[in-house]
Amino acid sequence: MSKLLNTLIEDARVWQGHRQTRTTQPAEPTGYQALDNQLGGLGWPRGALSECLLDAPGIGELQLVLPLMQRLSHAGKTVFWLNPPHTPYAPALARDGVNLDQIVMIRTEDSGDLLWTLENCLRSPVTGLVLAWPGKLAARDIRRLQLAAEAGSNVCVLFRSRRLADQSSPAALRLELEAGEHQDLRIKVLKRRGSWPGQRCTLAMGRRADLPVTESNRVVQGPWSASAP
Amino acid sequence: MLWAYLHFPHLLLDHIRRSRNGRDEANEENSKPALVVVDQSAQRVLQACPQAQAQGVQAGMRLKTAINLVPELAIAHADPGREQQILVEQARWLYRHVASIVLHPPDGLLVEVGSLEKLYGGLAAVWQTLEQALSERHLTAWMATGATPLAARLCARAGQGQCTADKVHMERHLHNLPLAAAGFDDRTLTRLQRLGLTQMGEVMTLPPAELARRLAPETLARVQKIQGSRPDPQQPWQPPHHFRQQADFVQDIERAEGLLFPLQRILTELEEDLCWRQQDTDSLLLVLTHRHHEPTRLRIRTSGPEHRAEAFLNLMRLRFEQHPLPAPVASLVLSVRRFLGREAAAGNDLLGETRDLNEAWHTLISRLQARLGNDALQQLSPQPDHRPERAWSASEVQRKPRPAISDLTSLPRRPLWLLNGPQALPEAPVAWYSGPERISGGWWDGQRVHRDYYIAGLSSGQLAWVFRDVRGGWFVHGWFG
Repeated sequence: MSKLLNTLIEDARVWQGHRQTRTTQPAEPTGYQALDNQLGGLGWPRGALSECLLDAPGIGELQLVLPLMQRLSHAGKTVFWLNPPHTPYAPALARDGVNLDQIVMIRTEDSGDLLWTLENCLRSPVTGLVLAWPGKLAARDIRRLQLAAEAGSNVCVLFRSRRLADQSSPAALRLELEAGEHQDLRIKVLKRRGSWPGQRCTLAMGRRADLPVTESNRVVQGPWSASAP
Repeated sequence: MLWAYLHFPHLLLDHIRRSRNGRDEANEENSKPALVVVDQSAQRVLQACPQAQAQGVQAGMRLKTAINLVPELAIAHADPGREQQILVEQARWLYRHVASIVLHPPDGLLVEVGSLEKLYGGLAAVWQTLEQALSERHLTAWMATGATPLAARLCARAGQGQCTADKVHMERHLHNLPLAAAGFDDRTLTRLQRLGLTQMGEVMTLPPAELARRLAPETLARVQKIQGSRPDPQQPWQPPHHFRQQADFVQDIERAEGLLFPLQRILTELEEDLCWRQQDTDSLLLVLTHRHHEPTRLRIRTSGPEHRAEAFLNLMRLRFEQHPLPAPVASLVLSVRRFLGREAAAGNDLLGETRDLNEAWHTLISRLQARLGNDALQQLSPQPDHRPERAWSASEVQRKPRPAISDLTSLPRRPLWLLNGPQALPEAPVAWYSGPERISGGWWDGQRVHRDYYIAGLSSGQLAWVFRDVRGGWFVHGWFG
């Protein structure tokens, strides 16, 4: 029994306010050093759900997962896009160095199909990353997805509405995304395993439209020279 | 040459019984109704299953009598075309064991076994292999060996088959065969019997010239073919390059689960067949026939080469879950016409993990396609066109590396999100970052595009790809996500 408790504590599954254990969960670096630092030096958790909460597309949310997508698609892992709100634009993805052979876009009719698809993708060893725009999800469904993600040890990022920020969720990592003033992306960590939430960081996302990066001095944190993905 | 003949006394009966075996496994064997096969005019019983025989039904009996004996009798109609197909199905698996097969419709297969003795290590071993294969398939067959095709056939049909390669023994056996089993036509048989002949051997010892003069040259030809003194060329059967198996049900099957059992048997047969051929397939055609409804044709596709029965069965189960049966099913036919050579395992790594991943990829994609439909899954690729709507295309998923674009940096900057159609710009942008980039084209196919594109920031913080068309309207065409 005590062994079980030890495992729970070592894996930072039980949250302890007084002691911050460095989680040993497997993770994939985000490609942004500043964000990795805020996430305990790790990045996107593997075998767990991550949520990105945002109001509208076009604030750099894809740029956030792009380094991971580039890396996984060239490592031969498949990247699934489930019910994206718009068309992922192939010329732009190709220009950003994503291997399009590994990108599979799936559209489902109803939420039952969506959950089934998501679960199947998450459990498969060929999957590297699942990006999903699930719409409404019951907490029970998220819990089920979380279990499927644990079975497959893949990265799964759900893009959901920012209104859900104050609701609880079984996801292991929750990020609130907000557009900054100079085309940068403000990220607020709402939840993460093994630590206090509430970290903030700002990433310059101007390069997604080849904008001149002049506002780097405004960035709160981060050695930018080392981070260029 | 040594021949063996397999006579199936009630092939159709075996075939139907096999299709319904295990369908109601929970019930006792006795709870299944007794089954008979009747002729096309539904007058006479041709074949009766052991259970019907136990209750007094015999082959040759009038159907009415049989129904009086067993009121809950299940009845199947004989159909020469169908019997021929069932016979070919048997020849197909038999071909794995023997090289030269001759079809003798409607119910017999002739096999040349003399050349197999060395391979199997004796005739007894060949015999045992065949018997085992027959019992695995729950088939009743009477087998016999003979020095000539016709001799083997007659002995087998008389039900007096023996496994022997000894010429003297076979000849003695043939001589003792009653004349009625020799297959002469009625007139000849009567004439021979009037001559006082009752056994085959007595006819065979008659002088040939007399036989031809007193009876008919055809009778002599037949006797000589049995003896082996006249050539009797046989047309060897070649397995067709496709797979086809069917299952017929006496009682219609209303639920899709009921189809899975016979399907599993057929798919196992397919898997074995594919393993023998060292081939794979990616497309199966399942035709379900209904009594009062158009046949249902289901095409089951896998995303990659596959041969495992389990994988096919899972796909079919998914398909049935999505599409319930339109009507009760009377019979089903599974056919495969497309075969792919099996690729050798790619020896990229020592433990063969790539192969597993490849298989897992195909399994996953096939599963998704079976439930969501083939169109739901798409792969994206850029296209050489200036117009943004046409600079990309979606295609069906396939695991073939496509030619990579060599010079990525030469591509113009584009947004990661493209809207399905341009939308009117809701507000004046707060910041302009780049532009205009004029895109003009499409005069060659009537889809004319003449736009000036800008990258602009909206007050919500979104970075938009906006354009102004010739009429001066402003539209959003993409988001820099």
